[in-house]
Amino acid sequence: MSVRNAILGLLAHRPRHGYELHDAFEAMVGGEQNWDIKPAQVYSTLNRLEQSGLVVEDGVAQDGGPEKRIYMVTDAGLAELRQWFNEPSLSDRRRDEFFLKLMLSLVVADGDPRRLIYTQRAGLYRELHALTAQRSQVNPASQLAYILLLDQAIMHLEADLRWLEMVEARLDEISRQPIPEPAERPRGRPPMDGNR
Amino acid sequence: MFHIKLALRYLRGRKLRTTLTLIAIVFGVMIIVGFNAILPAISQAIQGNLSAMADEVDLTVSSETRGPFAMAVADQVRQVPGVAAVSPQLVRPMALPASQALVNKDGTAVTLLIVRGVDPATVTEVEQISLADGRLLTAADQNAILIANSLAQNTGLGVGDRLTLPAATGVMDFEIVGITSGRPLQGSEEVFIPLATAQTVFNFPGQINTIEARFAANSNADTVRAAVLAALGSGYKVGGTTTGSEFAAAMEAANYIYNMFGVIAIALGGFIIFITFRTVVVERRRDIGMLRAIGASRKTILGLILAEALILGVIGTAVGILLGYLMATGLLTGMQSLLEEFMRTSVGSPTLEPWVFGLAIGLGVGITLLAGLFPALAAMRVSPLEALRPSLAEVERRRAGRGAMVGAILIVVAFLTLLPGTVGLAALGILLLIVGLALVLPALIYPLARIFGRLLSIIFAREGQIAQGNLTRQPGRAAITASAITIGLSLLVAMGSLILSMQGGMMEWVNTTLGSDYLFMPPSLVLGGGNIGANEQMAADIAALPGVEQVTSLRLATSQIDGTDLQVIGIDPVTYPQIAGLIFSKGDEKTVYAALGNGRAIIVNGIFAAQNGVTVGDTLTLQTPNGAQTYQVVAVGGDFLNFKLATGYISQANLAQDFNETTDMLVMVDRAANADAAQVAAGLQQIAAGYPAFTFYSLAEWQTQMERTLAAFNGMYVLLIILAIPSLIALINTLAINVLERTREIGTLRAVGATRRQVRRMITAESLLLAATGTLFGLLTGLWLSYIMVGAMSMVGLILPFSFSYAGILLAIAVGLGFGILGALIPARQAAKLDIVRALAYE
Amino acid sequence: MSIVKTEQLTKVYGQGATAVTALNRINMTIQPGEFVAVMGPSGCGKSTLLHLVGGLDQPTSGQVLLDDRSLSGLKDDDLTTLRRRQIGFVFQFFNLIPVLTAVENTALPLILDGMKQADAHNQAEVWLTRMGLGDRLSHRPDELSGGQQQRVAIARALVAEPTLLLADEPTGNLDSRAADEIAALLRQISHEWHRTVLMVTHDPRIAAHANRIVFLKDGTIVDDTRLSDDGQYEERVVREKMAVMA
Repeated sequence: MSVRNAILGLLAHRPRHGYELHDAFEAMVGGEQNWDIKPAQVYSTLNRLEQSGLVVEDGVAQDGGPEKRIYMVTDAGLAELRQWFNEPSLSDRRRDEFFLKLMLSLVVADGDPRRLIYTQRAGLYRELHALTAQRSQVNPASQLAYILLLDQAIMHLEADLRWLEMVEARLDEISRQPIPEPAERPRGRPPMDGNR
Repeated sequence: MFHIKLALRYLRGRKLRTTLTLIAIVFGVMIIVGFNAILPAISQAIQGNLSAMADEVDLTVSSETRGPFAMAVADQVRQVPGVAAVSPQLVRPMALPASQALVNKDGTAVTLLIVRGVDPATVTEVEQISLADGRLLTAADQNAILIANSLAQNTGLGVGDRLTLPAATGVMDFEIVGITSGRPLQGSEEVFIPLATAQTVFNFPGQINTIEARFAANSNADTVRAAVLAALGSGYKVGGTTTGSEFAAAMEAANYIYNMFGVIAIALGGFIIFITFRTVVVERRRDIGMLRAIGASRKTILGLILAEALILGVIGTAVGILLGYLMATGLLTGMQSLLEEFMRTSVGSPTLEPWVFGLAIGLGVGITLLAGLFPALAAMRVSPLEALRPSLAEVERRRAGRGAMVGAILIVVAFLTLLPGTVGLAALGILLLIVGLALVLPALIYPLARIFGRLLSIIFAREGQIAQGNLTRQPGRAAITASAITIGLSLLVAMGSLILSMQGGMMEWVNTTLGSDYLFMPPSLVLGGGNIGANEQMAADIAALPGVEQVTSLRLATSQIDGTDLQVIGIDPVTYPQIAGLIFSKGDEKTVYAALGNGRAIIVNGIFAAQNGVTVGDTLTLQTPNGAQTYQVVAVGGDFLNFKLATGYISQANLAQDFNETTDMLVMVDRAANADAAQVAAGLQQIAAGYPAFTFYSLAEWQTQMERTLAAFNGMYVLLIILAIPSLIALINTLAINVLERTREIGTLRAVGATRRQVRRMITAESLLLAATGTLFGLLTGLWLSYIMVGAMSMVGLILPFSFSYAGILLAIAVGLGFGILGALIPARQAAKLDIVRALAYE
Repeated sequence: MSIVKTEQLTKVYGQGATAVTALNRINMTIQPGEFVAVMGPSGCGKSTLLHLVGGLDQPTSGQVLLDDRSLSGLKDDDLTTLRRRQIGFVFQFFNLIPVLTAVENTALPLILDGMKQADAHNQAEVWLTRMGLGDRLSHRPDELSGGQQQRVAIARALVAEPTLLLADEPTGNLDSRAADEIAALLRQISHEWHRTVLMVTHDPRIAAHANRIVFLKDGTIVDDTRLSDDGQYEERVVREKMAVMA
């Protein structure tokens, strides 16, 4: 959805052909190390958008090479874009893989939750190290957009690390508590079914 | 180099504090330099009175008592092998009364002559008298005089001119027969008259006081000198008679006291410096820790703090020396008239002797360094970890227990120093007491703060409680502030008490001992200082005057007891007590005068009794021109004029018999109850005109004169103020530092809702608590101090009853608490004005 | 060869029942050029470790070796000389002398070591210029921002060309922007000027600039993580992360 709407937005900025869109996207996010999309993904998305009537072809550019189809946004496309702007962008952080690892490490026989935490922490710090390194290479005078993007990632990492710290501090407590079990349902199912 | 630079930067960074600290040193040095620069100037003036003969002849002999002796002694000297020639002389200073003074061309007056009565026949055999004009004295001369060419040039007198000088017979007229080209003497002039004439002028018939001798060409000077002394036996010494030595002794004693003030002022300065540097080290704990962490050795840190102390000490001492010199100049100018009146001599400019520089630099720089040393040692021990601490560590690490113990011991030792009765030891005791109190105070702060806090809570309900808490939490810091008040106040109490005692006591002395209806005063109030008395004729003339009920006189001689000089005053046991009286500290006034007339009895004055441990019933062996005589002490007491000098009072009969002395030096007269005052006064004035050496006063005139003289003691109040200023500075300094150290705490109070007014009241309450504590100890120390100072006064001869009025104590309390409020004003305003946010962020 | 090595390093504060073990048998080796962050909850002993490595405090047992030379048994004066020549300190509160200018503050270790003032100032100016303070040479600390003050402090720490830089919460008193700059500067010092840096911090974002983090807990090392071995690794991690976020 994000890439689709981003292409819509880039065309609303000004009409472009497919490869231009790919480059514009990458430039906006600060290069492929931040958000890598393939040109094929751009073309297939354009096709879907054209089928939905959100973009139309606006002519062909011919500058020596193969011909390039230039697209522009339609009124419906603008309405769709406006709709996107009007919705908050929420990420669902509750579906967390590490959480599952942690919970299961508490009950699996040779699980070591503390090791797990340290491994996760080391991983997060490595990411943070890389991001801070990258951030210090960026010129704040002309590339503020990248800095904001990197800061968002850095701050999430910081939050993750802080949460890990908290988990570590309360690890003994949580390991004393039984892992959550499904609620008993006395009617409708035989007791044997609940015994997984 | 780096030390000095960093120290200078730090000092510049805190200009106000640097200035306040400097003032403390400057004051002390100024006082020491100032008074010590005056003394040499005065002694030089006195030395100018000395006979200059000593180093021009082979040998000069005089009596130990400085008194006259028989001319026959000269013959004894002549018998000694190796002595080629001998010349008997009577050499006396002569104070010229204003009416007889020789006026110089520049308008100044020559007020003192050194009169040398010489035997014209022998004097040229022992010394060379070079003539600029005229002739030498001859055996035929009676009223002939030689004057020095300096005097001749200054006054315009020449050979053939006449000169009238006072004499025991009234006045005597002289003809100038020659001008000597002798070297000029400072402040006085040497004149030569025939010996026989001198004996009349000074009323010493047939007596001399100096023998000059010339040795044979091939003799050994040392051998002959020893042989002469051996021949004469005890009672004689090599060297001429000196004059003014009594005054010099008095001045030295006074100077001793001034030096004591100076030392106390410097000690106070040292205390202020100690407080300052202690704060400096607290403030810079983190700086110091950082320097240690980045590689400064302990020695470097010690050096840094000491460099700062050194700079303060050097600058303070330099400024102090300069101001001290200016102060001496000012004081000498102020004293000039007084000195002329008392001493008949003029003084030059202040003289700074090398040892004064040494003392000033030693004390000024030394005390500063010493005061900086302890904080510097503390700084040296600052761990480099201090640099890494998140906030300032609590500095209060007082070993109150051990400190209090040491302090208590010091106080006991301080009290013990009183026992031997030596001023120097007692002064040391004061320093011990101050240090002791400073050490004991932290332990006492808590109970005292509770007591005073209860009183204070009546006025400052809530703030008082907080203030009390603040103090008891930081007993060491509070103690330092309190001791600043203690020291300051004790000085004030002591000085004030001393001045009051003196002013009150002195007038009483004057009225008792010189309280006759009329007085004939000698030109110099120091009796020995070159006065020409009168022979018995004058007193007889006065007694014969109608309307005069009673006449009495004081006569003067000098003696020695075991090598100690004693001035002997002859009084008439019958007439003296009827007109005046001595003030007794031991002995019964009713019986002593009668005892005095009975055999050889003596009343000694306080300074003599104190110095020699003499008391009633003791017997004293007095050296007299007629051999040693034994006198019994019948009382201890004295009169106003002689309190400074070791003096004994004997009957005039004994004085004539043992000391060959019958000259009246001071005459007191009482009028008959029914006589006409104007008529009596007129008659007395007429007699006085015949004896110009005396100044005639009626009682009223005399008292006015004395009050004017005693007003000189007002100068003591200047001292008081000089000492009060640094103690006020110390108080403000400590309170300000106190606020500085607690910036954050005050910010917190403000943040949690204390109003500016409450903060101000809290600081004021705190200050009052401290002031109350300080005042209590200040009173105790001050009374102690004044006791010692009055004691010191009695040792220089002025016995004053040691007393302190209740009003004075109340005044001291008011001053102490007033200081507390005054000292709190600036810091309290400062605290109230603190910006809360900045105060909270303060490190 | 290691620049810092601790062997069974133990520090106990107090005695008897109230004794607190701040460090318990710490074995740690730091190679030249490493940038190591020490992290852990407050009271974990991380500051104590720094103090012991810097010779500011004496261990209860065990020892610290700097350049294979043991600090145990060194006298105070020897330790002081060692701090002056081999170690640079950076503090949380900058600890600049308020009455000295930036150059004078920076030159302090050289002057303390007896260098002539002119030479010391020249060298201080070089380092201040490297720290981007070439136009602030004669400013007093109170005329500088927090970040600038800390740069002066870092220049001071480096001016004597020490092999080891010890930093105790160097960004603890700075706003986040200045903190980032200082952290990046420390990384530069380690990467480009090849100084060994040992930093104590509680801020993950600052610690992440190091290339190694030692985690302390209750006086022992619980984890020792290498954040990057080379530049390739960093880029790969970032790429993966971005893909996940997409």
